[in-house]
Amino acid sequence: MSGQTADGLEAYRREVRAWLAANLDPRDDNEPARLRGGDAANLSPERVAQQRDLQRRVHEGGYAGITWPAQFGGQGLTAAHEEVFAQESRGYALPDLGIAGLTTTRVCGPTILAHGTDEFRRTHIPRMLSGEEIWVQLFSEPGAGSDLAGVSTRATRTDAGDWVLNGSKVWTSGAYYADYGLCLARTDPTVPKHRGLTWFGVPLTSDGVTIRPIREINGSSEFCEEFFDDVVVSDANRIGAVGDGWTVARTMMVFERLGGDPDEAPRHSGARELAPDLVALARRVGRLGDPVTRQLIARAHVIDLVKEQLDAYVAALAESGAANPNLGSYGKLAAGTLNPVRASIGLEIAAAAGVAWHPQDTEASTTALNYLNGRILSIAGGTNEMQRNGISERILGLPREPAHDLDRPFNELRHN
Amino acid sequence: MLPGVTADQKLFAETAERFIRSTCPVSTVRRVAQREEELDGGYFTEIGELGWLALFVPEEHGGGSPSGQPVLDAGLIAEQRGRYLQPGGIVGSNVTALAITLGGTGEQRALLDDLAGGKALAAWALGDPAGGWEASAGVEVRRDGTGFVLSGAKGLVQDAHLAGWFLVSAAVDGRPALFLLPADAPGLSVEPLAGLDLTHRYAELVLRDVAVPASAVVGQIGGDDLGERLLQVATVLTVAEMVGAIGELFVMTLEHARNRAAFGRVIGSFQAVKHQLADLSLAVECSHAIATAALTAVQEQAPDAAELASVAKAFVGDAAIDVSQGCLQLHGGIGYTWEHDLHLYLRRLATDRVVFGDPAWHRERICRLHGL
Repeated sequence: MSGQTADGLEAYRREVRAWLAANLDPRDDNEPARLRGGDAANLSPERVAQQRDLQRRVHEGGYAGITWPAQFGGQGLTAAHEEVFAQESRGYALPDLGIAGLTTTRVCGPTILAHGTDEFRRTHIPRMLSGEEIWVQLFSEPGAGSDLAGVSTRATRTDAGDWVLNGSKVWTSGAYYADYGLCLARTDPTVPKHRGLTWFGVPLTSDGVTIRPIREINGSSEFCEEFFDDVVVSDANRIGAVGDGWTVARTMMVFERLGGDPDEAPRHSGARELAPDLVALARRVGRLGDPVTRQLIARAHVIDLVKEQLDAYVAALAESGAANPNLGSYGKLAAGTLNPVRASIGLEIAAAAGVAWHPQDTEASTTALNYLNGRILSIAGGTNEMQRNGISERILGLPREPAHDLDRPFNELRHN
Repeated sequence: MLPGVTADQKLFAETAERFIRSTCPVSTVRRVAQREEELDGGYFTEIGELGWLALFVPEEHGGGSPSGQPVLDAGLIAEQRGRYLQPGGIVGSNVTALAITLGGTGEQRALLDDLAGGKALAAWALGDPAGGWEASAGVEVRRDGTGFVLSGAKGLVQDAHLAGWFLVSAAVDGRPALFLLPADAPGLSVEPLAGLDLTHRYAELVLRDVAVPASAVVGQIGGDDLGERLLQVATVLTVAEMVGAIGELFVMTLEHARNRAAFGRVIGSFQAVKHQLADLSLAVECSHAIATAALTAVQEQAPDAAELASVAKAFVGDAAIDVSQGCLQLHGGIGYTWEHDLHLYLRRLATDRVVFGDPAWHRERICRLHGL
């Protein structure tokens, strides 16, 4: 195992380079980007199995969970090592377990590391790193989205000390190929809503679990809904103390915000080219010389660069240490308000070609698809309205609206 | 303030703010705006002593900048000037000093000492009265022996009434050129314009067969790089002034929402108001972020300096209108009174949005910079 010195890092880089060359295939740049709503968004069972194998190979090679604790199957190395691996592996086909894969390693894993028992962590964290367990978050419900502490999925304790789960969850990315769900449930409805919550790791193969894909406006079914009918969950699968679920939820929301969306990943690349998608579109519809179209293209480019610079600015403030920890909400609200504008610009440039096309012309449908997906970040992972509440209260210091739900027992509140 | 400012820069900006608050606070700006008081030369020699006009001047002419990064230092001053709506525009003087420093003749360089000390002020006449910002806009140049004759008009020349010198952009035989003219050149006249902004004054510079010698040319005829550099610097400094004004206007509005009560609560506790403030603060932060990036790129003469300067002007120009309108809305009736300072900000921002290129002009420029 390499040390933390510059020499150590260089030695590590050489090890990584050799291992990658011997074990992974080069990335196929001709493979189309996995568009949300494209047919490729849904992973076939064969593809999932193949990617799990690949993940296992990376874990066996010692390159999964590089910064995670060694006693739970990680490598116990530094962020600098992780960065070396990221740099060196850029040209290789890394395991891609879709959004649920990211949820496993960026949200569920870190949350379990922070709040799980030793036994639970020893059992599950290595499996998460090896691709054996894919985890999703069972968070939102049909009756509770922004008001997360208002979930009503019920966990009741059995005489044996285990739990019985009843209720339903929704907006779960990739649950159809996942193994476990990290589930927020109400264990005590007689206390105010933030206090009666508890987390459970639920095997999705348990009796009484039904998973159904949700058809989205773009026609694809990346999200799922889940129903729990008398699902028995062992108390050993409880994460955090009974009634302390909100503490765990807050940890999880921080990881969720950091974990990001794969669409957002190439933050500091690509934006410098002049809105390449829209220039290509304008060329296709013969409007590159049209002054109105040129204004629209430049508007989109301004949006791209401003979002990039806002993220860089907030990151620089965060690094300076003195910054308000809630500043990340600005990046989210910027995406939530500007992405729809950008998607509409595409529609405006395309005009007729954006709404009807020859069936064989796959490129032409992209504008419409982008339009349908334009509001994903306005809603998912905290709506624009929740960001505005957060910014106005925690950054601008404005008072909260009077609340009716903080001190009264959950079962006396109006809820869905 | 920018992340990563040095201790020297911080001190420079704080000194600037202290000077403004004691010498020319917004209450004074208002009296100047209403012509109840005029800025005397003392203001300019004082800011000359503070170094605001010396940033682009070499040391041997009394110049220098605290951090050795004149664009960033000027940006810090611009932000403070914007916050407090300082009259007597200095972007023109700074840009003229930069032009002379980079391309001036020995004779022209003699002016640098006076520019650095605020004893002489200059204005840059770039755009034409119709709103074009190309160098050639508005003025015809014909050769006359070894010299030139300039005719036409330039528009939106900032605080031309204070300028002893004009840097005039024009085209000679289709190639861009810069001329340095004294305000008393025969045939040159300054025609004051009435306008929206009360804190800066604008004029047309009218040139009626103004004969100038070859020695009035700054840099090379066709020396495209110099004019381009000046445009970038003038653009980002105007953007920095706007960011200062936008930030101050927002803070003023936030304070209002925290203190004004209605229906038994402060209005800033209503979600309908809070959400507007959150959106406005996003515009403020985005403006700050893109201005920082543009100032840095122009300072470093980075390959994307031209683009970032234009992106910043395009974005902040639009944000300025959104924030001004939003802040007026949240102030309600009081914001519509002459007595309240809000309209001084609103007027200045709507005008700065246009000076050195409005957003649409910069968006077209962005396309051209990308070869589109």
